Amino acid sequence: MRTLVRRILDKLFTASSGLAVLLMAAALVLILGPIIWRGSDAVFFDATVEFRRMQLGELHRGDAEAVADELDRAHAARQKVYDLLDRFSEGIDTSGPAQRAKEVLRQYEAQLANRVEAGAIGESDSRRMRRRAKKLRNALLDAYEADEADAALARLADVLESPEREALAHTAAGEFFRMAARYKEVAARLDMSLREKYADPLASVRETIGLLLGPRPGQPVPDLSQFRYGATRWDQATALLDELLWAEQWVSDGAGRPMRKVRTRREEVFAGTELAGLFPLIERDLEEMMLPQSTVYWQYFIDDSPPGHFFGGVGPEAVGTLLLTALSMLLAVPTGVTTAAYLVECTRGGPLVRVLRTCINTLAGVPSIVFGLFGLACFVLWMLPGLGLSNGSSILAGAMTLGVLVLPIVIRASEEAIRAVPASYREASLALGAGALRTFVTVTFPAALPGILTGVILSMSRAAGETAPILFTAAVAVGKLNWNITQPTRTLSYGSYDLAVGDRLAAKVPHNQFGMILALILLVLLLNTAAIVIRWRIGKRLRGA
Amino acid sequence: MTPTTAAAKRRATAAGFDRPLLLSARQDLGGWVLRGVGRSLLLGIALTSVLAVAMIFVFIVKEALPFFTGERTGELLTSTSWYPKAEPPVFGALAMVLGSVYVTAGALVLAVPVGLLAAVFLSDIVPFRLRQMIKPAIELLAAIPSVAYGFFAVLVLAPWMQEHLSLPTGTNALNASVILAVMAVPTIVSIAEDALTAVGREVREGAYALGATRAEAIVTVVVPAARNGIFAAVVLGMMRAVGETMVVWMASGNASQVPSPWWDLSQSVRTMTATIAGEMGETVKGSVHYHGLFAIGLLLLAITFGLNIVSELLLVRGRRAAKGGAK
Repeated sequence: MRTLVRRILDKLFTASSGLAVLLMAAALVLILGPIIWRGSDAVFFDATVEFRRMQLGELHRGDAEAVADELDRAHAARQKVYDLLDRFSEGIDTSGPAQRAKEVLRQYEAQLANRVEAGAIGESDSRRMRRRAKKLRNALLDAYEADEADAALARLADVLESPEREALAHTAAGEFFRMAARYKEVAARLDMSLREKYADPLASVRETIGLLLGPRPGQPVPDLSQFRYGATRWDQATALLDELLWAEQWVSDGAGRPMRKVRTRREEVFAGTELAGLFPLIERDLEEMMLPQSTVYWQYFIDDSPPGHFFGGVGPEAVGTLLLTALSMLLAVPTGVTTAAYLVECTRGGPLVRVLRTCINTLAGVPSIVFGLFGLACFVLWMLPGLGLSNGSSILAGAMTLGVLVLPIVIRASEEAIRAVPASYREASLALGAGALRTFVTVTFPAALPGILTGVILSMSRAAGETAPILFTAAVAVGKLNWNITQPTRTLSYGSYDLAVGDRLAAKVPHNQFGMILALILLVLLLNTAAIVIRWRIGKRLRGA
Repeated sequence: MTPTTAAAKRRATAAGFDRPLLLSARQDLGGWVLRGVGRSLLLGIALTSVLAVAMIFVFIVKEALPFFTGERTGELLTSTSWYPKAEPPVFGALAMVLGSVYVTAGALVLAVPVGLLAAVFLSDIVPFRLRQMIKPAIELLAAIPSVAYGFFAVLVLAPWMQEHLSLPTGTNALNASVILAVMAVPTIVSIAEDALTAVGREVREGAYALGATRAEAIVTVVVPAARNGIFAAVVLGMMRAVGETMVVWMASGNASQVPSPWWDLSQSVRTMTATIAGEMGETVKGSVHYHGLFAIGLLLLAITFGLNIVSELLLVRGRRAAKGGAK
């Protein structure tokens, strides 16, 4: 019976150790899975017509005629939305016409100034006429602001029955009368009390539509590139549609209880008005308005992006990471391989070797943030300014820090590779009369090269992924594409940190958050796969030998 | 010299066949000097790593020294309040040291059993071919950049924890511990596996011959024989967790406090590494705060240096024991 217990325990032990390995595999899948899955969204997605417009406008990429054609089709579909919105907005949201009235006055003033200059009217006449026009405008503004139909109509009557009407009809100020006549119609049919009820919901509907469809044709182009285009991706568009169709509110269930989110259909908010028709219309025709097309945006890996990463890619980050990595390798590989060669070929133990080894092990164990501190104190604040190369953080300082960081990895890998070369190779070379240097350069080193290469690739992947050492030495969150090694740069690693934690706006573009980290992981995976393949081939050769 | 054709003579000269076999004294000396110069050049380059270690210590100590005046030195390790911007500033790093201890201990509790079992699985249980497939996966786990782990912790794991474990915040000591455990496991596995493999075959066969099952052989014979290497693996895993920056900075919540009750890992903590990473960007170079952060860096360096020496002693002892066992 005791044997049975022991056998069960044995099986349990085997199972649990297998479980441990499974757990690790699960961790790998669980961590890489979401990142790869959600990151691929940055490259493979359904792009709307706004995306193609953005590509054309910001990067001059794509067929201008085809995009214009598509835009025409999209605008034809969108026009219905704009019409509905405009009709309903008249009276509810008068900020548009009020703005227009102010503009008309400015135009009229400019006209007057021209005429004074031309000598057609005198200075005092001009002043008088300006006063008259201003009075008209103020009456009009009062009408727009009035909360009751009667008050508004009275003010409009002031404008329309103005004795100046004939005189001003053919000037810029003539527009006032047309605007007044138009608003009179609106005011006559509109229930002014609606204004209070609908002003806020309407403003949020307008804002969402603005985000969804972009600025209306004919509107001035916004300064910030992020506001120049509507939803560039179909998933963004559907999310905005959801925001448009449902109004969200947080209501409390009494003190001490957590707030609860309540969603109401906006169609119900606007029930009974013209605008209620807008929501089913957009829901039905959104595809025609946005014209989604599945797109492979491979340029994600080379494109620049505006601050906030609303669109575009990770080009500057990729360049920065590659520059840093290449430069640090340039510093670490010759040093590391030489050190390894010295350790294998020129020494047979002794105190010096022990000191060297202890130092290499210590270097390998120094926390990455301490490397960052060291790089800051040594390279950024002391050495590089001393040499007059740069002030403050720079790619050079970061690469030197990373070079020191990967040095022990390069040394260990190279040493192992050089040691693995069979002694018979060396002996044959020496027997043929080659010296120690020639033996190493022409026989040992080439034989060890694949192994050394593996180590170099692995340390490249380490250097590319490190963040803490470059925090204070090389990385910035915002900046232009930079090839100058005396300047700091954006990098994939720091950019990933910044998008995940630092940049609050980035939460609005999850595909770009995950896309950035995916780019870094792809780089690392690529390097590691290369290393694994090289090692596998060495293994095959050794087994074959 | 026998008469030869001009062409044959040129060939012989080019190949150096007519060179005397013995070197002249000058050539001998020249070669000896050249060899010495070459070797010292190589040594000079090899000493770069010694220089690097020396420079790291010199610069960290140099920048940390101005911080250590009489009362501040004591305060650093006894006070838990860290208010570098207050007037007067308070620099008590105890909460951060404890924060580092918390996340490291949490990570080890999770990583050591899993890592050791996996190492046993690789060294004693699976066939060679399967092992060749598992090892790259473990290396991949080690190769994923720490910022990617941090990214996962803060954007995937934290929301999940907040929702499914109904915690007030997803970024806490538990989150950081779990991720650090995943990061420490590959280190532990690879070193522990080396140690287990180094235990000779005859030790295992002896145990089997006495009638032990595989589990009994491993637990009572192989693991004790490899104990030094296994301890070294744990220490190196611990070093990885203590020195890790990005993950704890992103995932631990960064609240400078000692959790109470003490076992509650679902509270936010803040570690030494995260403090340096988070605050160095905002300090004025040369201020007390700046030197204070270097003092924490020095503390960190001292801790990892100590752990490093321990692990090295363990590995050397383990190697010696393995050699002794083989005799």
